Amino acid sequence: MARILVADDAAFMRQMIREIVEAEGHEVVAEASDGVEAVDQFKAHHPDLVTMDIVMPRRSGIDAVKGILEIDSTACVVMCSALGQETLVTEALQAGARDFIVKPFKPDSVVKTVNKVLEKESQ
Amino acid sequence: MALDMTKYRAVFLEDATEHLADMSRALLDLEKDTEHADAIDVLFRMAHSIKGMAASLEYDSIAEVSHVLEDRMQEIRSAGGVDGTEGLTLVFKGMEGLEAMIEVVRQTGESPPPNPDLVNALATPIAPAECQKKKS
Repeated sequence: MARILVADDAAFMRQMIREIVEAEGHEVVAEASDGVEAVDQFKAHHPDLVTMDIVMPRRSGIDAVKGILEIDSTACVVMCSALGQETLVTEALQAGARDFIVKPFKPDSVVKTVNKVLEKESQ
Repeated sequence: MALDMTKYRAVFLEDATEHLADMSRALLDLEKDTEHADAIDVLFRMAHSIKGMAASLEYDSIAEVSHVLEDRMQEIRSAGGVDGTEGLTLVFKGMEGLEAMIEVVRQTGESPPPNPDLVNALATPIAPAECQKKKS
């Protein structure tokens, strides 16, 4: 079981990810609705994994990834992107994100990506 | 696993209604200042967010309109502002169209019919002269 931080400016998306990962036995330790809050919540909870939306107010998801990696260079961040955001996804991966999931979320795909990143981390 | 999407409809309606209110305020700001960067950003993000939620619930017509509105806002951002008459009216029509579609979901629980005229209007590229005017 992993401790997960869910960062997305839409409550809808946060709730959906929470339901998917909790059904898999993981624990959502905190939620964030913008990039600044994401970094703050990471600092407060040090989760095993962060799901990070790309388009968020105050501080973008990519910028928040950089902020989180400054705090902990081993942090596992999975980006949540929409179709058509390939350039931003590439930028996020270059910034240090481990993987990405594409909206609209397919539960099996979310679980597979989250578990793959967690497994790699535990090796 | 399969998600029970019916419970997400209520969350969608709540979130989308808030987003539309934010968009409406941003449009007022944009009317006063056609280069208002924060207002352009809010309109872009809210359209993007509605697109993601609508696609998750398979409200394809809403996803389509919000997608072209998001792209339009991206173009306006790149141009440095919106044309104060036609351009602004089109963004307003986009928001109004989304509002009407979301109301259909509220009333019927079903995906609204597509609005190809609105999609085509929003998808029409901004005239280069307008971009140039905004950049200068």
